[in-house]
Amino acid sequence: MRLVVLGFGVMLGVLGACSDSATPTPTGAVCPDPDPMTLTWGSFGEQFMTTYCTACHSTELSHSMRNGAPLYHDYDTLAGVLKIPDHIDEEAGAGPAAVNTRMPPSRCPSMPGGKIDRDCPEPTEAERTELAVWVACEQQRAGK
Amino acid sequence: MKRWLAAGAVTGWLIVPAGAARADHDMAMSGHQHADAPAVSIGVAVQAAEFETMSYVGSYQSIAPTVAWMHGWFGANATLGLYHLDENGRGTYGMGDAMLGAHAAVIRRGEAEAGVALHVMLPTGSEVDNLGMGHVMVMPALWGAWQGGRLGASASAGYARALTSLDGAHHDHGPTPLVDPMNLQELTWSVAADVEVGHHVRLGGRAQGGVPIGDGRTRVISGGRVAWGMARVSTAFELQVGLAGDPFTVRGVLETALRF
Repeated sequence: MRLVVLGFGVMLGVLGACSDSATPTPTGAVCPDPDPMTLTWGSFGEQFMTTYCTACHSTELSHSMRNGAPLYHDYDTLAGVLKIPDHIDEEAGAGPAAVNTRMPPSRCPSMPGGKIDRDCPEPTEAERTELAVWVACEQQRAGK
Repeated sequence: MKRWLAAGAVTGWLIVPAGAARADHDMAMSGHQHADAPAVSIGVAVQAAEFETMSYVGSYQSIAPTVAWMHGWFGANATLGLYHLDENGRGTYGMGDAMLGAHAAVIRRGEAEAGVALHVMLPTGSEVDNLGMGHVMVMPALWGAWQGGRLGASASAGYARALTSLDGAHHDHGPTPLVDPMNLQELTWSVAADVEVGHHVRLGGRAQGGVPIGDGRTRVISGGRVAWGMARVSTAFELQVGLAGDPFTVRGVLETALRF
C-alpha cells in the first residue's frame, strides 16, 4: 500500500508543471474606414513575415524543414496569408481584445529551413498591433 | 491467476500508456483479478508511432510509468507519459497529459462482470507543443468483460468531456494533440477479444475509438496483441493502426508490469 501511495504521490507531484495556457484570441482589430492603405503587403506585410515568420512558414520548405510549422501555413505570399488571416491574428496579433504572443516561438533557425540555433526576433507590441490591423485591412480588401 | 491474466490481456490493463489509457480509458486497468487482499502493480510502457495529419508529418516515442492499486471490486491507477515528438522537422521532449483513474465492478455473474469507471486526464502536456489537450478531461464509462475457458472478450462505452468552453474552437490543425488526439466532447468505445494459446501466452485483437459530439473527428484504432504473463509479471506487445481520424498511421506498444 505504501508503494502505491508513493507512486500516486510522485505522479501528482509532477502535475505542477502544467501546459502553456496562452490561448489564441481574436484581437478585435479593425481596418480604419476609409482604408488609408498605409499598411499593405508591400509596405508592411512582406517585411514583417520575412523578419518573423518565413524561416519556418514558407511554401519553399518541405515538412521536414519547417521546424514544427504546420503544413499549408505559409506566409511568403499575400495569398498564403489570406488563407488563414484569423489564425495569424490569433497567434501573433495585438488589438483591443487581446495581445497574442504564441508566435513567433522562443527559438528559431537562422536560415529558412535550417536548424534551430538562435532566439527568435520578437515583434514589439506596436508591430503586433500593426499586424492585426493589416490583416484586417487585407481581409477587407479581399472582400472577406 | 488464470483469470487475472485473461482479464488483463482482454482489457489491456497490464500497463496502459497515456495514449492507450486515453483512448481505452474505460477499460484500462479495470483489474478483474478478484483479489481480496490489496494488490499493487507498477509497470512501464514504451511506444513508438508515426503520424501524418492534415498539418503535421512525424513520429513520437514515449515511456509511460504506471502505478495501480486494486482491492476486491475496486481499483485505481495513474499514468504519465514522457514523450519525444518530431513534428514537421522539430523535435520536442516533454510530458503528456497525466491520467488518473478509478473503477469498480458492479455486477459479477459467473464468468462475466460489468462495472463503471471514471478517468480524469490532467493537462500536464503542453498544448502548444502538441503534447497535451490543454484542458482537464473527464471520462466516465461503463465496461463489461467475459472469460470463458481460453476465450475472453470485453467491451466498453463512455463519454469524454473537456472542462472548457466548447465554443472556443479555433483554427483547425487537425487532430490534437498529436501524441493522442481526442475531441473536446465525444463518445468513446472499445471492443476486444483474445484466446489463450498455451505457455501463458494470449493472442488477441481490439478496436477502439471516439465519436465526436459536435465538431470533431471520428477516430478508430485497431490492433493485434500478444501477451505473456505469470503470477507476478506480465508483458505484452500491441501493434496498432489508425483506421480513421488520423490518430497515427501505425503504433507499437510494449508494456510490462510487476505485481506485489
